[in-house]
Amino acid sequence: MSDAYANENTLVSTESDVYDRGLDAVISLTVLGFALSMVALVDVVPLDASGSALGGFFLALLAVTVGGVGVAGLASWLNVVPVTSQRVRGIGLGLLVTSVGVTVLAYGLGVTLATLLGLVLVFEAAAVAAAGVVSRVGLVDTGPDMSAGLLAGGAFGVIGLAIGAALGGGLVGFQSLLWPVVSLATAGVLAVLAIVPREDLGSTLPAALVVGTLGVVIATSVLGPGWQWNPQTLSGGFTGGAVIPVFVLFSSVLAAWSAAKARAGFGAQGREYGAFLVINLNALLMLAVMATIVVFVTVKGIAYSVHGLSIGAVAAMVLLAPLFVGAVQFARSPAGPDEWHAGARQGLRVLPLAVVGAAGAFLVGVLALGEPVYYAFDYTVLENRVENQLRTAVAVTNETTVGSLLLVLAGFVLFVYFFRKYGTLRNVGTASDRLALVRQAVTMAVLAIAALTFVFLLVGPVPFGITPLWYAGLAVIDLGTVAALALAALPALGVLAGTREASLADSAQDSAPLFTLGVFGGLGLLTVTLFLQPVAQVAPSVGPVNLVTLVAMVATAAMLAAAALVAVAGRSADTRIQRRFLAEELRLALAGAAGFLTLVGLHVAVTGIPQFLLGLSVANAGTLSWPMVQQAYIPLGTAPGGIMPAIVGTVWLVVGATLFAVPLGLGAAVFLTEYAEQGRFTALVEVATNALWSTPSIVFGLFGAVFLIPRIGGDESLLAGMLVLGFMLLPLVLITSREAIKSVPDEYRDASAALGVSRWETIRSVVVPAAMPGVITGVILGVGRIAGETAPLILVLGSTLNATEAADVIGGFRFMAEPPFVANEALLSTSASLPTQVWAVIAAGVSGSPSMGWATAFILLMVVLTFYAVGIVARTYFRRKLNYE
Amino acid sequence: MTDTEPASTASQTTTTTAGETDEEVRAEWTDYRFDGQAKLSVENLNVWYGDDHAIKDVSMDIPENSVTALIGPSGCGKSTFLRCLNRMNDRIKAARIDGSVELDGMEIYDSNANLVELRKRVGMVFQSPNPFPKSIRDNISYGPRKHGDINKGLLARLFGRDDTAEETELVERSLKQAALWDEVSDRLDDNALGLSGGQQQRLCIARALATDPEVILMDEPASALDPIATSKIEDLVTELAEDYTVVIVTHNMQQAARISDQTAVFLTGGELVEYDDTDKIFENPASQRVEDYVTGKFG
Ligand SMILES: Nc1ncnc2c1ncn2[C@@H]1O[C@H](COP(=O)(O)OP(=O)(O)OP(=O)(O)O)[C@@H](O)[C@H]1O
Ligand SMILES: [Mg+2]
Repeated sequence: MSDAYANENTLVSTESDVYDRGLDAVISLTVLGFALSMVALVDVVPLDASGSALGGFFLALLAVTVGGVGVAGLASWLNVVPVTSQRVRGIGLGLLVTSVGVTVLAYGLGVTLATLLGLVLVFEAAAVAAAGVVSRVGLVDTGPDMSAGLLAGGAFGVIGLAIGAALGGGLVGFQSLLWPVVSLATAGVLAVLAIVPREDLGSTLPAALVVGTLGVVIATSVLGPGWQWNPQTLSGGFTGGAVIPVFVLFSSVLAAWSAAKARAGFGAQGREYGAFLVINLNALLMLAVMATIVVFVTVKGIAYSVHGLSIGAVAAMVLLAPLFVGAVQFARSPAGPDEWHAGARQGLRVLPLAVVGAAGAFLVGVLALGEPVYYAFDYTVLENRVENQLRTAVAVTNETTVGSLLLVLAGFVLFVYFFRKYGTLRNVGTASDRLALVRQAVTMAVLAIAALTFVFLLVGPVPFGITPLWYAGLAVIDLGTVAALALAALPALGVLAGTREASLADSAQDSAPLFTLGVFGGLGLLTVTLFLQPVAQVAPSVGPVNLVTLVAMVATAAMLAAAALVAVAGRSADTRIQRRFLAEELRLALAGAAGFLTLVGLHVAVTGIPQFLLGLSVANAGTLSWPMVQQAYIPLGTAPGGIMPAIVGTVWLVVGATLFAVPLGLGAAVFLTEYAEQGRFTALVEVATNALWSTPSIVFGLFGAVFLIPRIGGDESLLAGMLVLGFMLLPLVLITSREAIKSVPDEYRDASAALGVSRWETIRSVVVPAAMPGVITGVILGVGRIAGETAPLILVLGSTLNATEAADVIGGFRFMAEPPFVANEALLSTSASLPTQVWAVIAAGVSGSPSMGWATAFILLMVVLTFYAVGIVARTYFRRKLNYE
Repeated sequence: MTDTEPASTASQTTTTTAGETDEEVRAEWTDYRFDGQAKLSVENLNVWYGDDHAIKDVSMDIPENSVTALIGPSGCGKSTFLRCLNRMNDRIKAARIDGSVELDGMEIYDSNANLVELRKRVGMVFQSPNPFPKSIRDNISYGPRKHGDINKGLLARLFGRDDTAEETELVERSLKQAALWDEVSDRLDDNALGLSGGQQQRLCIARALATDPEVILMDEPASALDPIATSKIEDLVTELAEDYTVVIVTHNMQQAARISDQTAVFLTGGELVEYDDTDKIFENPASQRVEDYVTGKFG
């Protein structure tokens, strides 16, 4: 809660600690009631639970509260996150007291959860009313206004109408014409009660009446968990299980509002605090709904989806490496201003590092132990409505193999991270003409090899039947590889050679051009030779194949050596500038190492030949075993299967749709905002995009099935799915991009124009970058929608359920010398996807076990959240770039 | 919005110190010529914003390698006139321009005129600072980079045409010229929006200088600056006049008197009332209204 309340006592001196602490406790109780009703609503604890079942839950709740408040209190006491606000302290204390209270009640009274909630409401009502009366008779010093106001009166009137109607219906029945009279009378009483008395009574008594009445009705089981009401006119009905939590939720907010006003002494301060609490509880509700969905799906799906998960210790270490780097970065970020806080915060900052370090140590331990470590557990799955017990284990094994894909992934992430950080080093010019010449030669070589690859790709490995060309290809691979190795060795050698004349630090600084040349030249050369290999169809027996991986490994070592040299040099650097410079050089060398490591993985992945070095090995068959994600069949029984084809299908669908929709949408937005004359046409396009955005997804599906499919291959296909999802994404990207571009200030455009920069250049380098965060927000929202889209996919993608193979989009490309030059069988075939699979398993009853569907839904959720995370990182990156640094 | 308006407004104006009408005064100084060639030559320029006649039949010659000050009360059309000189008014939908402006004898309002080229030659500093949301370095080198005078990036590096050293030198020179170097030399890679208002304005001046224009239009460049920075800018303007043609709008009479070679006085309604050597305008203006304005009795 805001610090604005920290010094409230200087403004309103209530002169009563009892009043303050009491109301803090009441507010805590409303928060607790709010949380409890959420819990009851999602059926975690049934409303009619009592005795030990209920008691157990409350003990858990108590533990959570004590833990949460305890940690916060400790942090405050240690001055890490100092809590100075009396109100926040009061609420923390209140939470402790009230959760002890309800736990005791739950154990002691032996009542049901519903009754308990009713009692809580009655207590809140009494406390709120008491606060109002105490204030009115002047026992505490408050500053109420003349009246609670017409708005509050009106609101209570509406509440009164509803309660009165229910009351009237219950007392005299809806057949009698008397119930509207009761309803109106209740409304009138509440409204008058709110408006006529002074504010302290006006904003507490009506609230107390409403909350108290609901509390009594629920506590006395007039409205109990078994209550049911089925109006004749409706086919559905209301049950106590749903109505009670909703009533408690509502009453909690009302009581919180009233208590908050009283706590802040009514008047302007009171309204402020009241609104603050209500808005917060409201936001909390959103959060709770989101959390509930995630938790619900996770609980139902996780056990099944991690069935049989195991990973080799070395592979886990590779996976940990990016996290380790991230934790180091976090630990290095600057701490607070004064020493005491700095110390405490520093402690918090190294926490992730400690966790990652501990995990690493554990992995080392597993390796040293020479035996896998297991965690075994049981869970139940449904099979044909019969519960079955399954036993499984998750494990870390002592295997030393790393999967090539994992290596590529981790290596690439690290490369990007370090590369992004190498900063101003790029501003260092080339030291000598000779180096410039080498640089140019390397560039030419890279381009030439790329061109050669392209030729081989088009006309095959033996172009025009000329065998010597193939041998030339071999020679290029050999030479390129060796040259790459030489380049990679340059930085370390250069630094060492320089030390004969200068100090290590100076020599390292002078070698900067060697670093850029070595990293970029080496990586570039090795990458192109790597891709030339499979295209030239160099068989493993021919020779140079293993050379590439070997070179990449040695190059990694050379880069690490260079990094180590620079790190040592950095310790002896004299000036701040030199230190910064060397730090950047270090990052560049690390980027190089990560890049070469990526190439190792890439080469193994492409050729399929495993590599061994010093007891470690890289192979296509990694040690990560995750049946749910890796296997590709849906079982008919309860033995867990896997959904690999569906995961791959969904990822390709989203990638394809995004690649299709973002350039088109952004381009159209640029045209409409920057080029088109604002008028009828742009207005028409705007209406059309909005209409497109609200078009039902099944209509998109029908359009795809009847219009697109006959024109692309004639059958349900991945490409059709991508296009249809792309069409759905398009309007949102267009709308958000347009808004983002419009909100770029005209001053930027004027400034650019006045410098003699053309309109297109201005758009490209000023307008679009400034609009980027907005554009990405649109893409994030859109991807969230289309990733889970089911209906259109059933029509255009097919609901392939027995897919045993994932769509191989990358490997599916075929190039040829005659039109259409490129074809892709995978794009034109049907594919599985996560949402259609969830639909098929749960709704259409394919596969015997709905547990499979829940696990699929869980993984779908994870995939969507991953897309979100990527989007949010991208947006943060662009925002940072615009705002500072 | 007819073309006859200027004449009618002119005829109703007051008399001069010598008892002449404004029109007679104007007839006197329209013959005002300098030794050498006019860099910019404005002939019968009229600007309308919708129905609002903002510039009325203005004609004047601006000499090369000199400082020309535009003064006049707020809203009289100084900024509008300035924006006509590099056709920035084209960017305002409501604006309609009529008349002729020649740069080195070439008509800039010609339908074939190349706006990009024109604005490269006639740079501008706006009334309110408008740096890009980029680093200080990128702000300065933006123009030259887009013109292809400075090559950077992966391709340039690969082809060995990387002009990073030139860029560094250009950034330093431009910032020094604009009296900003000392304050930002150690944070060139920070975002320019993090600078103070006055620093941003000097950055915009440096940015305009970096493209090496022939004419520099400045719209109250010192309005957000403290006296020290102002005097640095004034020194800069004086120095620039050796190689460039500077047209500067200012509300500060002393400033106009200090730095300009000739001064044009606009008065409310968008007329150019008097244009002459600065000394003459401030010591012995022909028009009574101009004398009232520069002595602070009016405006
Ligand atoms: N974009 C525009 N649209 C419509 N009218 C405009 C526009 N810009 C300026 N005007 C009008 O044109 C007249 C001259 O404006 P201008 O900005 O040229 O004045 P100025 O002499 O620069 O004033 P100041 O000293 O306050 O900057 C004013 O009456 C103004 O209202
Ligand atoms: Mg102006």
